[in-house]
Amino acid sequence: MLLRPLSWVQLQLGVVLAVEKRINSPLLEPSSVEKIKEIDEHIGCAMSGLIADARTLVEHARVETQNHRFSYGEPMTVESTTQALCDLVLRFGEGDEESMSRPFGVSLLIAGSDENGPSLYYTDPSGTFWQCNAKAIGSGSEGADSSLQEQYNKDLTLQEAETIALSILKQVMEEKATPNNVHIARVAPTYHLYTPSEVEAVINRPMSIRRKSSLKILPWLQRCFFSSLQCKCTSLFVC
Amino acid sequence: MTKQHPAWSPYDNNGGTCVAIAGADYCVTAADTRMSTGYSILSRDYSKIIKLADKCVMASSGFQADVKALQKLLAARHLIYQHQHNKQMSCPAMGQLLSNTLYYKRFFPYYSFNVLGGLDNEGKGCVYTYDAVGSYERVGYSSQGSGSTLIMPFLDNQLKSPSPLLLPAQDAVTPLSEAEAVDLVKTCFASATERDIYTGDKLEIVVLNKDGIHREYMELRKD
Amino acid sequence: MESIQAKQGLVGPNDPIQRTQLPYVTGTSVVALKYKDGILMAADMGGSYGSTIRYKSVERIKPIGKHSLLGASGEISDFQELLRNLDELILYDNMWDDGNSLGPKELHSYLTRVMYNRRNKFDPLWNSLVLGGVKNGQKYLGMVSMIGVNFEDSHVATGFGNHLARPILRDEWHENLSYEDGVKLLEKCMRVLLYRDRSAVNKLQIAKITEEGTTISQPYALKTFWGFTAFQNPTAGAEGSW
Repeated sequence: MLLRPLSWVQLQLGVVLAVEKRINSPLLEPSSVEKIKEIDEHIGCAMSGLIADARTLVEHARVETQNHRFSYGEPMTVESTTQALCDLVLRFGEGDEESMSRPFGVSLLIAGSDENGPSLYYTDPSGTFWQCNAKAIGSGSEGADSSLQEQYNKDLTLQEAETIALSILKQVMEEKATPNNVHIARVAPTYHLYTPSEVEAVINRPMSIRRKSSLKILPWLQRCFFSSLQCKCTSLFVC
Repeated sequence: MTKQHPAWSPYDNNGGTCVAIAGADYCVTAADTRMSTGYSILSRDYSKIIKLADKCVMASSGFQADVKALQKLLAARHLIYQHQHNKQMSCPAMGQLLSNTLYYKRFFPYYSFNVLGGLDNEGKGCVYTYDAVGSYERVGYSSQGSGSTLIMPFLDNQLKSPSPLLLPAQDAVTPLSEAEAVDLVKTCFASATERDIYTGDKLEIVVLNKDGIHREYMELRKD
Repeated sequence: MESIQAKQGLVGPNDPIQRTQLPYVTGTSVVALKYKDGILMAADMGGSYGSTIRYKSVERIKPIGKHSLLGASGEISDFQELLRNLDELILYDNMWDDGNSLGPKELHSYLTRVMYNRRNKFDPLWNSLVLGGVKNGQKYLGMVSMIGVNFEDSHVATGFGNHLARPILRDEWHENLSYEDGVKLLEKCMRVLLYRDRSAVNKLQIAKITEEGTTISQPYALKTFWGFTAFQNPTAGAEGSW
């Protein structure tokens, strides 16, 4: 499977990830398509490319973060987790026997929150990673990226980030956004994958609220220590 | 009569006493500098306290060779940690690592009795106390080693820390000021040295606070 | 049961692993101290086979590399094996030809690991080692025991020396000892050991190491006086059943 675009925005209080998953058959069960996954309580990951490869990487990252918790009794930082993932990407797999003859064909957006606040990292199949404030990956990423450049500012609230991510996602989507074909997750400061009804609430939010660049912070956001990011992603299946 | 063979044991007890006290914004860690074997003194000036990270020191008594191996291992692990994570290990992280390291040798233990003193992520004093196989606990103060049986009840009496059974959990740090804690530690060692033959010669005190790390020394009985 | 003749060698492939469980030929104390220009070290030349003094010309102090002296008490064969290992270590280090060489601090640290690793294998080298040396104007003196216990000090002594010589050293040692005074102090220690340690023999070597290099003395004997009444009649004044 190949994934299309992804975009997000980083805020003071957390990170938001948004993806489009393309359901190209009415017979496909939407909940079986997962493009945002939890790595640890404080780190989430959105993917674009070969989803099967991403599963290997996410599994590796989960082991790394849990090992870190075991060894040091603390969560692993987002950067270290990203580095651990990229180490694997560069090796094409674990060990001599199991390693593959091809690279991992997937790009990841790794969103997390640690003692340095919220952060977003982008990795590519070469094993390189970059830290970003906002980033889109996948098939519509060029357009989404330039929209993000226009609309991102560091004072966005989490709600505004959700709204911006979704609206940019909709711009590059061919179909209408529904709770079935859009997935949203936040790390603020812990990972949460939105339920279909939570996604629906974001979709149905009036444009006036969506467009408003208010500095007002919602009460629940005030409890969050870290800033937020937003990310959207549309996906395309190539079977 | 059976023939007498010279025998050997992989362990020795080189004695020594360690104390650590955590305060609201400081931590005092102390140990004597005597190293013994049996009734003999090997050295009167052997430091038992090492700095493991910017805000973390460890005081260790027991079998010196095991202690040294443990110190070298932790130093190496900390160096690797710095390279991988671009930061100093925190005292709570080092506490967990030390526990794992000790338990890793559960069936051929490091015969070492440690207290870890430092500052936590909030800058509060923290003390971790261990047994030889890695059981550990965060406490407000602790003593380990040959003089601990003399010092621990004295600290209990003086510091009156809240019971760990209280709900909700009470803060374990002591109400003393830094200078008071240093004085208390000096009194503890002066007293322990009177009765414990493995404690004496000199006292080394390491104080950690927001200004950094600082060491001071006090002479103890040499007999 | 398998007969001894049927075996091909002394140790068969299925035999249990053999380790030194007890020492055979042993040397007694080594005493060493820092003095003004470097390190002085003394050891007698006896080699005991249990309670028998079997050998009388065992060299127990050897130079290691350019900057260090190693003295050993305990199992002589283990010491000699260690010397072969150290020779190889120094040789291979020298082959880098990079102008660097192992100093006493490095060697002491190395010995510490060797001794500790062997105790971890339950196959210890049955020695107490004293390592002294001078490099870059820095004097160094340290000890390692059979199980890896190690430390540095201004003066050290192994075995009986720790009981009999170190109290003397603690009384009389000071930072600015001249060579002559250092030798005198060591001889005083060795004389006490000779009188009171039954495995000590009156044939000893004193070694010196300074920035200029190593000198190990020819074997020589100490002047002794055995005419003390307490020596001639040790039970006088303490009459008992024997």
